[in-house]
Amino acid sequence: MSGSSFEYSRATDLDDALAKGGRCNATFLAGGTDLLQLWKSGLAAPQNVVDISHLPLADISRDGDTLVLGALARLSDVSAHPDVKTHHPMICEAILASASAQVRNMASVGGNLLQRTRCPYFRDRALACNKRDPGAGCGARHGENRHAALFGSAAGCVATHASDLAVALAAFDTEITVRSTIGERRLTLQELYPLPSATAASDSSLAAGDMITAIRIHRASRFAPRSIYLKIRDRASFEFAVVSVAAALRVEDGLIAEARLAAGGIAPLPWRLRGSEAALIGRAPTEPAFLAAGEQAIEGARPLEKNTFKIPLLRNAVVRALQSVRGGS
Amino acid sequence: MNTRSVARYEGILKVTGDARYEGEIVPDGTLHATLIESPVACGELLSLDTSRTAAFPGFAVMVSHADAASLKPSAATALIREKAIHFHGQPVALVAAGTLAEAREAARAIQVATTTRPAVTDIGQAAGSAYTPAMVGRFPAVTRRGDSSKALSEAELVIRNRYTTGVNNHHPMEPHAVVCWWEGSRAVVHTSTQAIFGTRAIIAHAFDIPATDVRVLARFLGGGFGCKGQLWWPWMFWAMLASRKANRPVRLELSRAQMFTLVGRRQQTEQDLTLGFVAGRLTAIEHDVVAQTSTHAEFSDSTAVYTRLLYACPNVSTRHQLVPTNEPHPIPMRAPGTAPGTFALESAMDEAAELIGIDPLELRMRNFADQDQETGRPWSSNSLLECYRAGAERFGWAHRHARSATKVGRWKIGSGMATTLYPAIRQACRARVSLRVDGSLLVQCGTQDMGSGTYTALGQIAADALGVPMEKVTVELGDTLLPDGPFSGGSQVTASILPAVEVATSKLRATLASIAVADATSPLGGKPPQDLELRDETIRSRTSNAGEPLVDVLARAAPDGLEAEGESPATNHQELAATGMGYGAIFVEIGVDPELGEIRVRRVCGAFAAGRIVNPLLARGQYIGGLVGGIGMALHEETVTDRPTGCIIGKSLTDYLVPVHADMPEFDIIMIEETDPHLPGGVKGIGMLGTAGIQAAIANAVYDAIGKRVRKLPIRIEDCL
Amino acid sequence: MSTHTNTDAAGSRNAGNPIVEQRIALAMTINGERYDLKVMPTATLLDVIRDELGLTGAKKGCDMGGCGACTVLVAGRRIASCLALAASFSEADVTTIEGVGSADRLHPMQAAFMRHDALQCGYCTPGQILSAIALLSENPRSIEEIREGMSGNLCRCGAYTNIIAAIAEVAGR
Repeated sequence: MSGSSFEYSRATDLDDALAKGGRCNATFLAGGTDLLQLWKSGLAAPQNVVDISHLPLADISRDGDTLVLGALARLSDVSAHPDVKTHHPMICEAILASASAQVRNMASVGGNLLQRTRCPYFRDRALACNKRDPGAGCGARHGENRHAALFGSAAGCVATHASDLAVALAAFDTEITVRSTIGERRLTLQELYPLPSATAASDSSLAAGDMITAIRIHRASRFAPRSIYLKIRDRASFEFAVVSVAAALRVEDGLIAEARLAAGGIAPLPWRLRGSEAALIGRAPTEPAFLAAGEQAIEGARPLEKNTFKIPLLRNAVVRALQSVRGGS
Repeated sequence: MNTRSVARYEGILKVTGDARYEGEIVPDGTLHATLIESPVACGELLSLDTSRTAAFPGFAVMVSHADAASLKPSAATALIREKAIHFHGQPVALVAAGTLAEAREAARAIQVATTTRPAVTDIGQAAGSAYTPAMVGRFPAVTRRGDSSKALSEAELVIRNRYTTGVNNHHPMEPHAVVCWWEGSRAVVHTSTQAIFGTRAIIAHAFDIPATDVRVLARFLGGGFGCKGQLWWPWMFWAMLASRKANRPVRLELSRAQMFTLVGRRQQTEQDLTLGFVAGRLTAIEHDVVAQTSTHAEFSDSTAVYTRLLYACPNVSTRHQLVPTNEPHPIPMRAPGTAPGTFALESAMDEAAELIGIDPLELRMRNFADQDQETGRPWSSNSLLECYRAGAERFGWAHRHARSATKVGRWKIGSGMATTLYPAIRQACRARVSLRVDGSLLVQCGTQDMGSGTYTALGQIAADALGVPMEKVTVELGDTLLPDGPFSGGSQVTASILPAVEVATSKLRATLASIAVADATSPLGGKPPQDLELRDETIRSRTSNAGEPLVDVLARAAPDGLEAEGESPATNHQELAATGMGYGAIFVEIGVDPELGEIRVRRVCGAFAAGRIVNPLLARGQYIGGLVGGIGMALHEETVTDRPTGCIIGKSLTDYLVPVHADMPEFDIIMIEETDPHLPGGVKGIGMLGTAGIQAAIANAVYDAIGKRVRKLPIRIEDCL
Repeated sequence: MSTHTNTDAAGSRNAGNPIVEQRIALAMTINGERYDLKVMPTATLLDVIRDELGLTGAKKGCDMGGCGACTVLVAGRRIASCLALAASFSEADVTTIEGVGSADRLHPMQAAFMRHDALQCGYCTPGQILSAIALLSENPRSIEEIREGMSGNLCRCGAYTNIIAAIAEVAGR
């Protein structure tokens, strides 16, 4: 299959890439695993594809207690990196639960954060989608919405975010470095992902020509002993999450001193569960606290016709994730 | 013939990548084609504006219903000769160009105008239009034996429930492809079909040319499972018309998305099933099926047909009804009829066993049918009771309660079992076997190998009959220049080819024996021909040590080699003395995570009885493969229509979930060999047996684990929370 | 009446972009042999391997990265060649099934697939074998890890059990 025609150019360095990427109807090619699907489905029709896959932005390093992932680091390289395995096991788990080994060998971490929703109404041009065609309506809202969001969705879009990695990163203090011809800026993960409006739903706050160059995860190693990425799916592997939960605890003197919780498959962006976190702080890492966190997680959920099951599923998944990290490793 | 685990004949070509599938044969100058699809689910094509197309580089030709009007009308050509649009995504034109990219660019520039009419996209939406078809395959759609309503009113226990099954798609890993060209008035068609002769026949009919002017080839098939029969993708004719128009070969390959819409599907069913019991014996069954068909053609699976005969029961009523919708047309898929039908019946038997208070296995044994309930004929052979016993023992059925609802890690354990069955039928078949002077063997039959091992079976049967090692055997199939062979479907191929090959090889044996004994210089000279046998490439006397190498006999008396054809008839259903049926008992252990709803199959034990087994190695793979398909239907697979548009949603293998490596349980396959005096060759089909029964076994195991009865397929997370 | 611009395949809402005549010159090593190629900007690695070079062992099962039939190795690592833009793979070292072994010199993994009858229709087989070879270089520690690691390769015939048996044998488990 092939999509519509485009011109290909390979960026010689970052400045060249930013100059080329800033042109009209240009797109960056990193791992290509989502871009090629979008292009083949007619959802992306760039006139210029700027290949940045060879730029030296693939380093994985530690800067004090900050893990720095070059945006072009492959998912498989991140999950196999000794520092990541030791200090950020939850990130490894999230990556290894993603896609297939073939795709993980290609996909970049930057591209993973910017992958577009798997909502089938978005992925098929024959179906109505505000995210794809602002103003066209949302077919999923009253249609086949088993996959749809419980939180954060406006009437205009009920799609969920697809990335496992982003859910893990949302639980930590993650900072995204963005470059453009204008310069460099840093965003929190929350700032990267806007909420949808009534008629439109952008995937990210990035503008055309913006490029993620690095991802910094600050001071997360303290959670290494007690963290988990729990992914629930219909089949045992190679499937996007029905619901997922990233959970991390720090226990001091038998009480939860810090808690980080985020969920996937339930919102248009990786969904931080701050209410659940608050319900845990200062309590013993035992069942009552976990159940309270589970109940908090589903507070305010707004289900559609076919996704109400995600409410008990999310609650139970939060509890299970916390049970799993309780003892630590 | 012996039972022998011969290695897969064509395996070496498949592991090296040397096997060429038909879509990979691309002559120089081939045009590449793409299909333009209807954006509406119901309406009529008004026009195709090609004014901007001619200028496109590489554009060669467009073909639509207007070109197909020259084809002879038939069921096969109906959809492509008409302007009517019956479902979303129905092709309205084919565009061919020098490259696929060019074809797609040209296609994008064509303006399609249609009318739009309200579409029916849900059987519930049109329940009032349900009708009873005349037939369900070769069976009547409605049957009544005894008086089920009276028996139900007198029954001690009545179980009445509705069971539903979703739409499935076949999804062979190889999408449909055709590469075709014309040599004068003769057509050459390379295509992935399960039926080369059936395809040849419909092409010859459509183009009104002699069948001998059409050559269809399918030497390798990347799976089929029912969707590569002769009728299922008429757009192949458009490729042939394009080739004739452009006078160049044309290649058309479907996309994976088109595999959801253009090549058939397993139909959705709603089944109302009522069972009545007295003293643990079935006294009444009523099985009513409502299923989807398309608005352009009729198809009904034989969903309730096997309810008529699986158990002994004097009062049975069954009925099939269809609701036409503007959705893709259904066709047979892996265990057609038996898969959805046994889901209902074998779930209901489990429900009954609990209410009666006996072991579900015991309930089935108690209701065993010792003859064909519909015709009163005896079974040709029937080892179902032995399947129950052997499977239960190997599985540890008697001890299952010790594990039921216990926890292993996060998994609540449950066990369930069910019966599977499939009729043993044969098609007419011809085969040619040639012995060359060097002692090598050529076996030729115009059938196909869908992956089920037909190459191996053909070679093995002939090799064993003539005492030639497999290394010296060449098998040719998948070409209509060969003798007419059976289509690959309905688990019939091995049963059909075996008698034909045996006829051919016995002719050769007779010829060889008469040559050998007629020659005074042979050590076998003067021996009675019936005293001779072929073993280890030697013609031997059974009663003495005399023998002569096969090559010596051939060199002396048949320097051009020997050739013989064999022929065997199709099953004559009217004149059968006995009903042939293969059976199996399937036992599963599953785990359900009751908080997270996840379901995983842990262990499957299948005990099957299907006549003689030609090759246990390949047969085991067939059984397991069938079971994997059944797990998919039970837990994962469902094709969903967006009701307002009629568009199938999630047309990808990312959305349509099939089992992956990580889903695999431990499999234990028991093959119970039967000697069947009624079936020529003694072979029953095996391919379908694994794909039925297991759905109910899994549903029964879910109930055992968490006490939830799920009467719909697939069983998903939301059903187990 | 309604008029539609055909939505088959891809393209923007108004009939796609003008066709680009660009061809990209690049060199690749495929199965140990160096190829100088001129590819369309839109060509995938799979299309180049199958259509330009005639190495049809790499299969197009879904063309969307969802089935694994197109798996090839790049520098020993498995990738989905249908999601790889060929132009991006300049100087890549690619191995397809044709470079793994031949009928007279089978790779141990190919031989194990034969022994265990780890195939039926054969269409997923090259991808399974290449994926398995790459997986073993990742040192899976258990049968469960082999199953998980192979889950990107679908087999619709359901030959999974024999495939895992073949891989486990080569892995020495």
